[in-house]
Amino acid sequence: MNRIEEKMAALQAKQEKAFITYMTAGLPDMEGIKALIRAQEEAGTDVLELGIPFSDPVADGPVIQQASYKAICQGATLKKIFQMMEEIRKEGVNIPIVFMMYSNTIFHYGVKGFVKKCKEAGVDGLIVPDLPFEEQKELQESLDKEEGAILIQLVSPVSGRRIPLILENARGFVYCVSSMGVTGQEGNFHKEIITYLESVKALSKIPVMMGFGIRTPEDIAPMKHIIDGAIVGSHFIRLLDQNNYDTKVAADYCKGFKAGMENL
Amino acid sequence: MDRKTYYGKFGGQFVSESLMNTLEELDLAFEEAIKDEKFLGEYHYYLKQYVGRETPLYFAERLSEKHRTKIYLKREDLNHTGAHKINNVIGQILLAKRMGKTKVIAETGAGQHGVATATGAALFDMECTVYMGEEDMKRQALNVMRMEMLGAKVECVRSGSNTLKDATNEAIRVWAKTAEDTFYIIGSAVGPYPYPKMVKEFQSVISREAKRQFYEAEKRLPDAVIACVGGGSNSIGMFADFIEEKGVELIGVEAAGKGIKTGEHAAAMAQGIPGTLHGMCSYLLQDEDGNIKLAHSISAGLDYPGVGPEHAYLKDTGRAEYVSITDTEAMDALMELCRLEGIIPAIESAHAIAYAIKKAKSMGEEEAMIVCLSGRGDKDVNTIADYLSGKGYLN
Repeated sequence: MNRIEEKMAALQAKQEKAFITYMTAGLPDMEGIKALIRAQEEAGTDVLELGIPFSDPVADGPVIQQASYKAICQGATLKKIFQMMEEIRKEGVNIPIVFMMYSNTIFHYGVKGFVKKCKEAGVDGLIVPDLPFEEQKELQESLDKEEGAILIQLVSPVSGRRIPLILENARGFVYCVSSMGVTGQEGNFHKEIITYLESVKALSKIPVMMGFGIRTPEDIAPMKHIIDGAIVGSHFIRLLDQNNYDTKVAADYCKGFKAGMENL
Repeated sequence: MDRKTYYGKFGGQFVSESLMNTLEELDLAFEEAIKDEKFLGEYHYYLKQYVGRETPLYFAERLSEKHRTKIYLKREDLNHTGAHKINNVIGQILLAKRMGKTKVIAETGAGQHGVATATGAALFDMECTVYMGEEDMKRQALNVMRMEMLGAKVECVRSGSNTLKDATNEAIRVWAKTAEDTFYIIGSAVGPYPYPKMVKEFQSVISREAKRQFYEAEKRLPDAVIACVGGGSNSIGMFADFIEEKGVELIGVEAAGKGIKTGEHAAAMAQGIPGTLHGMCSYLLQDEDGNIKLAHSISAGLDYPGVGPEHAYLKDTGRAEYVSITDTEAMDALMELCRLEGIIPAIESAHAIAYAIKKAKSMGEEEAMIVCLSGRGDKDVNTIADYLSGKGYLN
């Protein structure tokens, strides 16, 4: 069983919400990111998203754009990130890890080779924001054949009648984007957020997570009865950046968020 | 995979989920509009009365005489705002109005598409925001002023390399947020489907006129048709009506910048690595990790790291040939056209002229070609002056 699916099943059994963070792979550097992964596994973060830096991140707001640009300038590449993954898995780090990346990085590596490498390196899932359902065929077929990583589906507030199509064979969890546009819009959720989340929840056989613009557990209070977990990206990146990528700050934030969700 | 959105293996819709419904809505509205006589009537009215079409197909006498073959120039430089860009803007802005949008956004590199969009927005009373890289705003201060005079807001983009590709990224981001009331006017034959098809449709007026004009002059089809290729809008418009005429050679001219071997160029097809950027799959300039490389060309309008998906397809099928011309070759051709014909071409168009001159060597005196003179060189006078003072050309 896939690590993400295992984790989702365990959380459901405990009736606990999932807490997921996003970090740009390669910041502060490869050793630093390893320390942050270890610290978060210990602190109880359920799933980690690692952003693979790309030169043209059209789905990202300023915070992640800048982080991505900085990581590239410091020499972060997909090959080095794969190597880091292999090393950390060898150490016994077992937290589910999802790569959030742009399609060109995958195509440039070669779809088949990429999917195979994900399995070897212990990558459990992929989120590809510029690969909508209609463009997923090649990657999805390759993933199904390799039986390693799974593709996480994104749904937006305007997906409407596309939702059943997107959810039909979705695995792991559904990533509900909370607002139109890009990451990091500071709690500005879509005006129809509740109806939208309810419609996804009603159709989904797998847990429903909300991401984009979340900073505190209180941000998700209005939808706590609908969603199965929250994803924090831009806010977490800013927090890390402002605190010199301190592992204790990261761990405290994760513990706080996780506990905060249970007390909503 | 929805094959309708593809040209062979190129094209597609590589955008975020939140834009998929927007693209479908756009596709439906576009297909309906181009079958509607009223819409087409309006489009052609503005092309004639506002843009100043049809543009002449001029037989370049002295250039032809010097190079011993017949060279015709399709004078897109004589359009209002000085280039072919306005053809597409009029089409897209009429479509935006038809769809009930009240705002338009656009990306621009050199500022030509930005100026054309600001012009159209003023004409049709739409709120207009143009995204432009910080670097480009410095290099093209005059066009920034033009856009502002026309009532557009020019938004400075500070991300990545601060140039056209980053301005395009930013326009896509804003569009994803605001698509409900905002129409994104893409300036080149790039982007997610249906943009490449739409831009071709609105630029194909170039070849429709040229084919008829050439027939009136020569009572036959031309032997070759040549146009410069950045994203590829003037070239796809120039090729459109000739694609089915298998006897007509189609040649696209990319910018070789300082030379393909130097790595400082904008010839996405010469490098030949497919990838995804700005919503499409096409040939792109990329580094070994799959990041998009900066393009280089003395011509800001060709300074784009990708190319429209239909061009990638025309290359792969062999229907069109793509070549490249260096900065130096383009500037030499530019000066030659000034001196021989009294026409100052845009540096972009000078790339097509430069290749036409090369091509002439293998053509007979009775053979004929059409070169798309996509824009005029007024906007380039500063660049030309800098170049010439470095080279001492006028002395």
